Amino acid sequence: MSDLTLDPISLEITWSGLKSITDECFLTLMRSAFSTNVKERHDHSTAIADAQGRLIVQAEQALPIHLASMGGLVRHIVERYGDTIAPGDMFIGNDPHVAGGTHLPDINMAMPVFDGARLVGFVANIVHHADVGGAAVGSMSGGLNEIYKEGLRIPIVRLYRKGEVQDDILRLLLLNMRLPDERRGDLNAQIAACKLGVGRLSDMVARHGADYICRAFDEIIQRTKMRMQSAISSLPDGTYAYEDVMDDDGLGTEDILIKLEIRKAGEAIAFDFTGSDPQMPGNFNLTLNGTQSAVCYSLKALLDPDVPNNHGVIDSVEIIAPEGSVVNCVPPAAVALRLNTSQRLVDVILGAFAEVLPERVIGAANGANTSAVFAGINPETGQQYVYLETLGGGMGGRMTKDGKDGVQVHITNTSNLPVEAIEMEYPLRVEEYALIEDSGGAGKHRGGMGIRRSIRPIGHECEFNGVGERFRHAPWGVLGGQAGAPGRFFLRDNDGSERSLPPKASCIRVPPSTAAVIETPGAGGYGDPKDRTEDLREEDRRSGKFSETYLKDAYGAECA
Amino acid sequence: MAWIVGVDVGGTFTDFSARHVAMGRTVVHKRPSTPHDPSEAILNGFAELREIAGFQGADVERFAHGTTVATNALLQGRGGRLAVITTRGFRDMLEIGRQIRPRIYDLQEDVPPPLAPRERRIEVAERIGPKGEVVTALSDDEIASVLAQIDTIEGVECVAIGLLFSFLNPEHEQRIGAALRAHRPDLFVSLSSDVQPEFREFERFSTTAINAFLQPEVSRYMTNLKARVAEEMPNAAFGIFQSSGGLMSVERAAEFPVRTALSGPAAGAVGAIKSSGKSAIADVITLDIGGTSTDVCLIRGGRTSLANVRDIAGFRIRLPLIDIHTVGAGGGSIAHLGADGLLKVGPISAGAVPGPACYCRGGMDPTVSDANMLLGRLPQTLVGGGMTLDRGKALAAIEKLSGPLGLSAEETAFGILSIAASNMVRAIRAVSVELGHDPRDFALMPFGGAGGLHVADIARELGMTRILVPRAPGILCAEGLIVSDLQENFVGSCRIKLDDAEGLAALQANLAEMQERADDWFAQEGVAEGERRLKLSLDMRYVGQNHELQVEVGGAALPDLPEMKALFFATHARAYGHHDPEAPIEIVNLRLQATARLVHGDSADIPSEAIPAPLGHHDVWFDRAGPVDTPVYDRATLPIGFALQGPAIITQIDATTVVPPWCNLRVDEASNIIMEIDQ
Repeated sequence: MSDLTLDPISLEITWSGLKSITDECFLTLMRSAFSTNVKERHDHSTAIADAQGRLIVQAEQALPIHLASMGGLVRHIVERYGDTIAPGDMFIGNDPHVAGGTHLPDINMAMPVFDGARLVGFVANIVHHADVGGAAVGSMSGGLNEIYKEGLRIPIVRLYRKGEVQDDILRLLLLNMRLPDERRGDLNAQIAACKLGVGRLSDMVARHGADYICRAFDEIIQRTKMRMQSAISSLPDGTYAYEDVMDDDGLGTEDILIKLEIRKAGEAIAFDFTGSDPQMPGNFNLTLNGTQSAVCYSLKALLDPDVPNNHGVIDSVEIIAPEGSVVNCVPPAAVALRLNTSQRLVDVILGAFAEVLPERVIGAANGANTSAVFAGINPETGQQYVYLETLGGGMGGRMTKDGKDGVQVHITNTSNLPVEAIEMEYPLRVEEYALIEDSGGAGKHRGGMGIRRSIRPIGHECEFNGVGERFRHAPWGVLGGQAGAPGRFFLRDNDGSERSLPPKASCIRVPPSTAAVIETPGAGGYGDPKDRTEDLREEDRRSGKFSETYLKDAYGAECA
Repeated sequence: MAWIVGVDVGGTFTDFSARHVAMGRTVVHKRPSTPHDPSEAILNGFAELREIAGFQGADVERFAHGTTVATNALLQGRGGRLAVITTRGFRDMLEIGRQIRPRIYDLQEDVPPPLAPRERRIEVAERIGPKGEVVTALSDDEIASVLAQIDTIEGVECVAIGLLFSFLNPEHEQRIGAALRAHRPDLFVSLSSDVQPEFREFERFSTTAINAFLQPEVSRYMTNLKARVAEEMPNAAFGIFQSSGGLMSVERAAEFPVRTALSGPAAGAVGAIKSSGKSAIADVITLDIGGTSTDVCLIRGGRTSLANVRDIAGFRIRLPLIDIHTVGAGGGSIAHLGADGLLKVGPISAGAVPGPACYCRGGMDPTVSDANMLLGRLPQTLVGGGMTLDRGKALAAIEKLSGPLGLSAEETAFGILSIAASNMVRAIRAVSVELGHDPRDFALMPFGGAGGLHVADIARELGMTRILVPRAPGILCAEGLIVSDLQENFVGSCRIKLDDAEGLAALQANLAEMQERADDWFAQEGVAEGERRLKLSLDMRYVGQNHELQVEVGGAALPDLPEMKALFFATHARAYGHHDPEAPIEIVNLRLQATARLVHGDSADIPSEAIPAPLGHHDVWFDRAGPVDTPVYDRATLPIGFALQGPAIITQIDATTVVPPWCNLRVDEASNIIMEIDQ
């Protein structure tokens, strides 16, 4: 291991100061942004990177999927612009294929910090913009088969050149986006956060000197890597494999295989996705950065949840992902809904580690980012409305306890919208918001339950669009646990008849006599069902979460 | 001979402050808490206080109480056996909550399970719509069926009723509540339309469930305490401090125990406002460092801001609460080497038991207090505390770290303090810089036992030049209690767009109705006309936003349209840095705060004019260079107008203030210590 020369007290304090900068940038961005997506859903992140583009510190509230994305952007800046980077430059980019992004709505910005002529590092941030143009409102619609349809592609370009805003670039961007005023507001917030971060980091450089700060960057990465490697070396050496299939891409490709072999020796660990299916026409493909984010999330969650999110984590793992595959797609692959695939990658990684990390792994979770969009014309106001929601589901059973029911898992953690907010805002009635009986897979500790939400349009016909995964391939159990229930979309008429919808349901007309019902997947159980204690089985029964029939089937006649 | 007595019960100590209304004389006292029965420490301490101050129980005209009974019951799950009644289709609402996990990377940590398990959550066929209209009527048969289901729940003690849109139309909740109270007078019943009639069902139901859960315990406590206080202080009006920063009657506290969830810290903020006000300082950031945590609160223009949501022990509470930011760093925080080889302080704490090593209660781990001890910042004996600290034990604990670090024990201790300070700096940045306030425009005000030990280092790190140490930093919460007003908060949900004339008329009607409720409350509390104050604020947002801003209108009347817009723009710009003059705006809630001004008297301590002599001298480390011979003063001996240049240590009943060489101090007319940092 290379030499660590900074004393462990000063470095801790410096590190804390760097975290403060990213946190302040995070909040500044949130405060000055215009869109609900940033202000209320906090779909943004901020970070500091070093002169080589390695991520050093991320804001406390930064999202896992943004980790590799910001690092990706800065690395591409360094590679492409190298010596021409000047003080006052500010770079912008979003393209997954050439600018280190993971999908187009995530727009990255970065600004360099100099000490005289010496490049010290970058301040970066990322915002999920509510629209970046393309075929459909929101730039997140399913059923698109190439990235050109998904929105405006921005390679890495200078938005500021030596402190001068490049107005022509800005106008080009805004012309291609819906709601340009909101976009301008959010971009301005990103610019403000960059400038603030550069000012704060420059102050630190002035106080401590560039040598010290660069040294601190190095040691933060080294120490994180050491911490990660020591966690990795606690795993037994060996080869661990797992595979799973995704339902479909919404454009006719079904049963998409994700195959993983993990090879671990000493401090080294490699994630080899060779054998995974080729990229698909539908927009569920992952760029390599997205795959990296999912691997880093899983390692952190399994080995050391408190390890800081920086390049040291990325640096501790090798990822082998064949070009042109679903986990390392090439242009013009479409990617907007890649979060569903990230979620599945996490399940596969957990599955591979089941035997060696029995105390840490959990059953397959709802494995999706189930989304539902209702749109129509409000009959009272005559105005168009769009209501979007992403729903949680079951979390897998765990060694010491059942999986949590009805919750967002892994890569995502966004809130629901209150029923009262929905009904005051939109001409819709939520008829039920409940856990689904029998949806958690049986096990010593059962999987969590999926969520059912039934929604009916009031006084008009609306359109329903849904994206679901694990509707055909149920969330499996681990270490003897059973699978949880898959999800489904269906329409329920007033007469009680039901009509089933596909997992990628688009443009479904829903009249007021009908409710659209969303059922998200449950999750897999943990451990052999016959080891489930009588107390827990009794709780399943008493709570009404599981039916007598289910309990009899899962745990045997003597339990009923 | 009228006295006002404030008692703040904390986890470790029960603090007392008593003030003679006419003469303004103030007496403070402190004794260990008795968690098994908090009233024991209250009554014993009161007897001692009476002795010290020389008054009779009958002389007390008001008794104000800050309590952690509700918070502790929630933290320890010691509430009543709870059942919940809710709209059909939504009994899992309390369990799903906002469908998020507390920590994104932690697969094991969950939000706590609901206070009523699923089998005790009963659904009822009824539905109110988003305009308050009845979509599905509630039948008498349905009510009968609910009552029958409640009867089947063994040992049920309390019931929370939460129905959708009850904040717009409480009729269904009220009918079920009335039937239940008639059928089962033995049960405590909370209605969501009474507890917090605001939109967002999960937050409303959760707050109501917590309230009902706490009712049996808190109501028992309040009834018992009220009887005993009535015996001891037959002439005293009894007030309970609520999280929003005012007193309420003991009956209301028993009915709405959830309102006392942040009673103590909120009283501290009120005490801080009063103390700093006397020194004519209106912009203050408070720093309350306790054993396990640090509370920070920003006061601007002599006022705190109110937050509306807070999680306590993982449970969501939606109520007006003084906005206090808490971090897990305190005197008991344990220093250790992290997995990355760096020195870390906290979040694990030695707590009160076993406590820091130097407390000699069996603690072996090095803590922040041990570092202070080793560097001479904590005196060997705490004045009035009756506790002797052991420097040898502090040294032994810290040496466990200094070896592996390759540093001297003092350097290690200095590192522990620097890292603890940097953690607290982050807490202060969170309430100031990160919300658009420059800390350099504020004075830093330490209180609690340990605030004064760190305040100078923290202020310097933040570029703050002024520190205000209150007269009795260890008793500030109790001080806040005796200067508090009676307060009640009313909320009216009324969602209208600003350009909707009909809506504005409805808003006006809604406000009139709230004013009537406020008048009823004033009458009920026997508040004279001249002492009544009403303050209106509006929860406003742009149409389409999910979160609203609280806009104060300055007075109790609804301003005209341009004024409302202007106020909203200003608030929006302050919070978010911009506003849009064109976008449509809506009002979501009306909030009316009613306060009854109580007589406080004013403190007027006249200490001796004598030039104080130091109690002694100590070797104290202020930087890594080495110790400095430092005088130690007893705060009680410092007269008004006294000034000195650091270094010095000031000790008092249960607080210690470190004055580094780069600080000077003076005691001002209000008996507060003002420290200036030579930047």
